Amino acid sequence: MPTVVVMDVSLSMTRPVSIEGSEEYQRKHLAAHGLTMLFEHMATNYKLEFTALVVFSSLWELMVPFTRDYNTLQEALSNMDDYDKTCLESALVGVCNIVQQEWGGAIPCQVVLVTDGCLGIGRGSLRHSLATQNQRSESNRFPLPFPFPSKLYIMCMANLEELQSTDSLECLERLIDLNNGEGQIFTIDGPLCLKNVQSMFGKLIDLAYTPFHAVLKCGHLTADVQVFPRPEPFVVDEEIDPIPKVINTDLEIVGFIDIADISSPPVLSRHLVLPIALNKEGDEVGTGITDDNEDENSANQIAGKIPNFCVLLHGSLKVEGMVAIVQLGPEWHGMLYSQADSKKKSNLMMSLFEPGPEPLPWLGKMAQLGPISDAKENPYGEDDNKSPFPLQPKNKRSYAQNVTVWIKPSGLQTDVQKILRNARKLPEKTQTFYKELNRLRKAALAFGFLDLLKGVADMLERECTLLPDTAHPDAAFQLSHAAQQLKLASTGTSEYAAYDQNITPLHTDFSGSSTERI
Amino acid sequence: MKIFSESHKTVFVVDHCPYMAESCRQHVEFDMLVKNRTQGIIPLAPISKSLWTCSVESSMEYCRIMYDIFPFKKLVNFIVSDSGAHVLNSWTQEDQNLQELMAALAAVGPPNPRADPECCSILHGLVAAVETLCKITEYQHEARTLLMENAERVGNRGRIICITNAKSDSHVRMLEDCVQETIHEHNKLAANSDHLMQIQKCELVLIHTYPVGEDSLVSDRSKKELSPVLTSEVHSVRAGRHLATKLNILVQQHFDLASTTITNIPMKEEQHANTSANYDVELLHHKDAHVDFLKSGDSHLGGGSREGPFKETITLKWCTPRTNNIELHYCTGAYRISPVDVNSRPSSCLTNFLLNGRSVLLEQPRKSGSKVISHMLSSHGGEIFLHVLSSSRSILEDPPSISEGCGGRVTDYRITVVPLASVIVKESLTEEDVLNCQKTIYNLVDMERKNDPLPISTVGTRGKGPKRDEQYRIMWNELETLVRAHINNSEKHQRVLECLMACRSKPPEEEERKKRGRKREDKEDKSEKAVKDYEQEKSWQDSERLKGILERGKEDLAEAEIIKDSPDSPEPPNKKPLVEMDETPQVEKSKGPVSLLSLWSNRINTANSRKHQEFAGRLNSVNNRAELYQHLKEENGMETPENGKASRQ
Repeated sequence: MPTVVVMDVSLSMTRPVSIEGSEEYQRKHLAAHGLTMLFEHMATNYKLEFTALVVFSSLWELMVPFTRDYNTLQEALSNMDDYDKTCLESALVGVCNIVQQEWGGAIPCQVVLVTDGCLGIGRGSLRHSLATQNQRSESNRFPLPFPFPSKLYIMCMANLEELQSTDSLECLERLIDLNNGEGQIFTIDGPLCLKNVQSMFGKLIDLAYTPFHAVLKCGHLTADVQVFPRPEPFVVDEEIDPIPKVINTDLEIVGFIDIADISSPPVLSRHLVLPIALNKEGDEVGTGITDDNEDENSANQIAGKIPNFCVLLHGSLKVEGMVAIVQLGPEWHGMLYSQADSKKKSNLMMSLFEPGPEPLPWLGKMAQLGPISDAKENPYGEDDNKSPFPLQPKNKRSYAQNVTVWIKPSGLQTDVQKILRNARKLPEKTQTFYKELNRLRKAALAFGFLDLLKGVADMLERECTLLPDTAHPDAAFQLSHAAQQLKLASTGTSEYAAYDQNITPLHTDFSGSSTERI
Repeated sequence: MKIFSESHKTVFVVDHCPYMAESCRQHVEFDMLVKNRTQGIIPLAPISKSLWTCSVESSMEYCRIMYDIFPFKKLVNFIVSDSGAHVLNSWTQEDQNLQELMAALAAVGPPNPRADPECCSILHGLVAAVETLCKITEYQHEARTLLMENAERVGNRGRIICITNAKSDSHVRMLEDCVQETIHEHNKLAANSDHLMQIQKCELVLIHTYPVGEDSLVSDRSKKELSPVLTSEVHSVRAGRHLATKLNILVQQHFDLASTTITNIPMKEEQHANTSANYDVELLHHKDAHVDFLKSGDSHLGGGSREGPFKETITLKWCTPRTNNIELHYCTGAYRISPVDVNSRPSSCLTNFLLNGRSVLLEQPRKSGSKVISHMLSSHGGEIFLHVLSSSRSILEDPPSISEGCGGRVTDYRITVVPLASVIVKESLTEEDVLNCQKTIYNLVDMERKNDPLPISTVGTRGKGPKRDEQYRIMWNELETLVRAHINNSEKHQRVLECLMACRSKPPEEEERKKRGRKREDKEDKSEKAVKDYEQEKSWQDSERLKGILERGKEDLAEAEIIKDSPDSPEPPNKKPLVEMDETPQVEKSKGPVSLLSLWSNRINTANSRKHQEFAGRLNSVNNRAELYQHLKEENGMETPENGKASRQ
């Protein structure tokens, strides 16, 4: 989940904060202090997160595009100038553009808005924006909700009392509401000072930037892993099942399946599964992410030499062309697989399926999958030449069952032509002739289109008169029989117009000796 | 996302009164004369469909699209109304398919134009529709049972699509009032019932249809709330294809569908089989398959006017599949499709191609040269899905390689030969075991032929490991050693070896190179064996000799180091410091980092050694040869012959 830090650099951020017996601070210093703490935390515990820095007043500017280089972000923090008034709406529009350009509309992003709660004056102030919010056209839509999955965290360089003395808090709460409730407002507890800012950012870190640690298990093999990005809770149906589902910290592998069988399944999200080495206190030693730090490097080297189940699993899945099915929670599964990026690096990746008993229709119910040895016969065949997947649906889809649609005249004409073509090749094509005839008959009966049956009967009678002298005598018999049957059906009387009844070929015998029966 | 939204239950109420037997006055030519047979024949007069036929085939098309895209949890109840209501099916999943509905419609037949119009009314059907909406579906029942005390969370909403021929706007209002009243009554009934549910929300869609060329007596009206429970909209539509088009638009609105046109599909011409032309096929699917277009477009289409976007289709270009390569794509959604024109030749060519198991990648047409693959069409078990592939920048780009992480530097995770290695050590083999082993060997041969990397070195080695053919040579040697160690077990073990040797047979030149390689290996084995054997060490009284052997070991080590880069060099020997030798008993042959064989042999030997006191002669032996009558020689003051040498080669 990439992060955009949106920093207020309007003049109000330079308001001094009175702290007894120390040098004078401004609110922007407090903000920079808090962000420094956030960046430091990410640099050690959340290294793979991409972060961008935007500053805004009446205009906005992208100071640092998305990066994992936290030194650059840190540097930018100390090079910020002071500008004019706050204009939040344009900054949020800027965030929309930056995120969509970089990540498109499907990747969830976290927006960390740092402001003092002074929301500007006149046009472009948040009050003005909210007041005119319902009078917008499509082209200047209010930027919330963000056009991508998002969380909006508002970090206020002010305490609750201060915000409540005006309508600031109310306006900021409206922002969260407009973002479909996705987000939270943080305020400083107690007097404005470095310590209290730290504790506010600490809360944000706890909420949004704590790494997700889990234990990957397969039988008696285990590995401690970090899952990145953090899997977010998922709501299945806000009406029936409104409680967000959270994934287990014990990730149990329940089976393995061929890549061809799982067949590019749709997933909610995907995550790197990084093995971590834990020392005795349970503290993380390293996630294996290379760092310039010498000590860490040597710690990584030691960890690198201790066999790890993740590496075994990754290699095995890669070689076998398989994925591992992992249990994420009750009726919730995911898959583990080897993912190679464009370079020669490859990695263990985990994708989450949608929760439910049957996330992939072509695999059927997950609970009904089991080891090959449980089956009476090997479902993959003795020579591994077949597969029980994909499962066939009970009813065929329209495109797989030769349905009859006559909405366009061409549909009807094609079907009539087919009958006619076969009629001219009787008796060789007797079977197909009757097959097509019965298909037409069924559809005409269902649609109550009895005129068509009469019309086709007339047509067959005409064909009968047009038969060349060389034609097989059977052709004439079959044509007039079929025409007669269609005519009977076109009366709609239940005796001849039964849907399940088919017109069968006339039984003829041209062997010579016996007389013809009609 | 709600399972039990209005589209969970759809009731079709189709008018079956005598006037529906009237012609729609749109002619269909069905007698298309084929060329060179036309002389002197007058084609049969065109026919026309009745209002009934138009209504039925349009609603069947609605159902066809709905069932294709939502085969479950979206249910239809079909009611026909004349002098009474005929309910053609139920909410059960078994009743939800076109065949059932078609058969039921055939049983009803077309309306009887001679029936008494006074007895017939669409009202019977509308009342029955409300009644049926109160009936619980199996999905609602299941959800209620599951939620227990929260059962009230399960919603009961539905939609009534009524196709009729109304007399006037006030007639339409009368129909609406009737529905509203009936809902009110039935909700009261349902409140006191366990197996009925109150209707929370009902969407009434009234379609007035009339013959082409006549003036409509009813005016269109957009959706209007008649009560908190009921909304109603009126569509006045000419029969024939106009009605079909209207229902097509409605099914897209009701089920949040969107349209994608696949363009540039190469297809063989029917007439000229050796030429191919490009065709377009339009598909419908859930609109989420366009989520990236909707959100990243300049205008935000989502949530806007409902009528607007449905005429639009998004065009994606066919990319001819090159291989049948099985790949795991990063797919963020898969949505069932339904062709708009299901029976047209281009549609059926495309769907058959996909049903035969091929997948097609779809490209976004862009003005600039860059190629963006954004979707994939693929069938799974007779169902075709439009997969959405992620085409934006990945937030996981440039991840740390697994070889850089924990356990990344460990190289001997044994991954491939497992079936053989675990089977060959058994004392007796079954036919199946032999087959399994042979399969493994063939598999390896196949991998070597394809020059696939061996797993042991792709994982974990940093920088350039041994070359691929080298890896294979090492692997084959190791495998041969392993199998040879067990050939005495049974004739079946022998057969595995034969298979292995047959597979390994190489041209003479290569054989020669291999021999040289093996010699070196043997030497290496000796040295290792010598230095590894701790037990042996005790027996060596002459420390000078020990030194000598160690020295030679080092030489061999050095030699191995030097030739490391030549294509046929053996795997580098164990580089552990010599003093740290394991206390494991001697192994038959071992080389490289501990092989599976040596692991196994060590285990067996340790197990065995615990069971008995080791024979003194073996304990003191060199290379399993004990010098007999040593005391005689000592007494004679003679040097002991160099045992090691005798056992060499």
